[in-house]
Formats: sequence, C-alpha cells, structure tokens
Amino acid sequence: MRLSRDAVHALAGEYVLGTLRGRARRRFEALARSDRDVSAVLERWEDALTPLADRVVPVVPPARVWSAIEARTAPAESPRGFWSSLAFWRSFGLLAGGLASVLFAAFIWFSPQRAPDAGAFVAVLTSSDAAPRVVVSMQARDALLIRVVKPWAGVEGKSLELWALPAGGMPRSLGLVRNQGETRLVLAATDPRLEAMTALAVSLEPGGGSPTGRPTGPILCSGVVASLRNT
Amino acid sequence: MTQEPGQARLESLLARSALRDRAAFAELYRAAGAKLFAVSLRIVRERGLAEEALQDSFVNIWNHAADYSRERAAPMTWMAAIVRNRSLDIARRSREEPDIDDALTQGLADEGASPEREVAERASAHRLRDCLGKLEAEQRQTIALAFYHGLTHSELAGHLRRPLGTVKTHIRRGLLKLKDCLMRGEAMAERG
Repeated sequence: MRLSRDAVHALAGEYVLGTLRGRARRRFEALARSDRDVSAVLERWEDALTPLADRVVPVVPPARVWSAIEARTAPAESPRGFWSSLAFWRSFGLLAGGLASVLFAAFIWFSPQRAPDAGAFVAVLTSSDAAPRVVVSMQARDALLIRVVKPWAGVEGKSLELWALPAGGMPRSLGLVRNQGETRLVLAATDPRLEAMTALAVSLEPGGGSPTGRPTGPILCSGVVASLRNT
Repeated sequence: MTQEPGQARLESLLARSALRDRAAFAELYRAAGAKLFAVSLRIVRERGLAEEALQDSFVNIWNHAADYSRERAAPMTWMAAIVRNRSLDIARRSREEPDIDDALTQGLADEGASPEREVAERASAHRLRDCLGKLEAEQRQTIALAFYHGLTHSELAGHLRRPLGTVKTHIRRGLLKLKDCLMRGEAMAERG
C-alpha cells in the first residue's frame, strides 16, 4: 500500500505527538524502518516537535535510577563476587589509571638502571578520592617494599593489612603494614599468594590483623599491579 | 561545569559515550537526566513509571550513542525522542482506560499553568512557537495536551468534552497547518 505524502505527514506528526497508538503505532514504526522516505518524514517531525520537550521544568530523579542504569550498562565480567564487582573497583579508585601510570613512569625513571627480575612489579594504591596512599614494589626477588605516602589518621590500635587480589577468587593476605614510612615484607616472587594477582589492596583490621584470614574492615586503598618486565 | 547543558557539550558527551567512556555517560546523565525525567513524568504521570522509562531510555542511549548524528538532530532532541517513545509505550501499558489525574485537571483549571501557555512560553524554537501561535486555539490546546501529557485521542475527547471525531480533526488539521507553517521556514524546507 502506498500512502499519500499528506497521509505520511499526518501519521508521522501523530506518531511524534503520541496520539498514534497501539497497532497503528507499531505498523508505522515498521513502515519507517523499511521505507527511507517515511523515516525521513518522521525525522523531520521529531526535529520539529521534540524541542517543545526541551523547555519543561527539570525534575531531579532519585539516585536509584542512575544506579540501575549503571548496573545495566556495566561491561560483563566473568567473576561476580564482591572483590570483582564494579562497585568495588570503582570505589577504590582503580580507574584512576592515568594517575597511576604517571607515578609508574616516574618510579621506573628514578629506579636504578638495571633489568628488573622476573616477577618484579609495582602498584600505586589509591583511596576512593583517587589520592595515592601507598606504593608497593617488588624489585628484588625476595622482598616486597611498601611505602606509605600519606599515613591514615585515627587508626590507633588497629592494623593495616595488605592483600593480593587474584583475577578470580578470594584475596590473600600478604602481611601487616606500618602506618608510616616503609615496611619490608619478606616474600619470594614465586610465592603462590602472588599467583594470578591483578591488584593489591590495604584494609583496616583489628590490631594484629584480620582474625578470619579475609578482609573484615573497610578497604583503605587499592591499585592495579603493573609488571616491570615485558615477558 | 555550567548549569545549562550546552549543545556542544552534550554532543561531545554523546560522542564519548559512543566510545564507551563511562565517565562521559555519567556526566551526560547528570546534565540531561532531570529534564528528561520531567518529560517522562508528564506522560506517564507516576514517578515509579517515569523512573522506569528514564532507566530504559538511558540504557538505550548508551547502546545507541554511536547512531547519534549531529546532522540530524540536536542531542537533546534525539534523547527526548527516545524518552518520549519509551514513556508512551509505558503509559499505554499502564493506562488502558482514560484516566485524567487531579494534577492535570488542576493544571488546566489554572490559566497560568495551562499547557497552551506552556507551549507559548516554553517552546525553545521561536519558529515552532510562532507556528503554534497561528493555529486555532482549540487545535493548539489539543496538540499541546497530547504532546506534554501523552493523552490518547479518547482521553483528549473526554478531557476537552469534545466528540472523538472533532478531536481527531483538530489534531490532524493542526499538525498539517503546523507543517505548512514550518516548511515555509527553513527548518523543514531545507531538506525538502
């Protein structure tokens, strides 16, 4: 069936206006998809009438709408636990990749000029406001150096615990970290706790460390691990 | 960050969203969400349904950001069309029976808040406003009610206390008159 030009305009106008309903609306949508002339007319009506909508008084939608949109548009990831959830990665500033790579480059630049050992890595751990708080590096084969850039206030009587986060699975404790200066943890580059590690995090735990072997307190900072060797 | 989202800024946010830039998409939502929520709210008339429409629409905007073309429409027009379409779908699903709520009835009783005046005052495109002004009062009111509140023909008939056929005629003639007026301007004429 061939519609007259006036009929196409009338239908397109009513479609955009919203008075074309039900099956007629669906049929017209299908027609516009298959007929370029019809879709051109429809586009012109949308352009002509929709600016009316631009001048309504805004109403702020509740926050849950954005949370739902975010969840529905999140990239699909295979493991779905807390440690791999989008909220976790976002909350702790792992997406502050730009900053981390600048620090990473600076770290490499000022490091002694020698080829790094196998398993050597560096990670800049940032807090939720993307501020770098801890730099973790492993350059020798048997020691992890943890440097607290900015100590936490009000954590007396509690312990900071460093965790290795594998690509899927539970975090593994690497040990306790002093809330200032440098801490050196003896750890072999081949230690199984470092296997498949993609990120590091520091949590706040009761004095002496987590009683359960898993993080129990808030995550203070976290960051992705960058390997120092291309192999 | 300006309060009034500039067109160039929205275009850039849409383009970055098409490249899967989540921060840009979040900013796009902050810039346009409240206006689009208001557009939907008027059509579906329930906050819960408007939330659903806004949610679905932004998922669509994210998925189809790459299809947006600045030659065709302003970014707000493009997004508003998506929101209106989704809202009309949801309104139809939830509202088979004519049901004019109190807020709308009050809005019409109050001259200052009438959709007709809204059209006259708030139309962003001057030409559109001018052309709407050239319609007969009843045609204009019918078109404004349909556009802003997503009313069906029979809802409009019930609300305006007019026979269904009269309402349909008002809309059809009003739209064609509007088209002729707009075509005399450059907006519609430049593309045939």
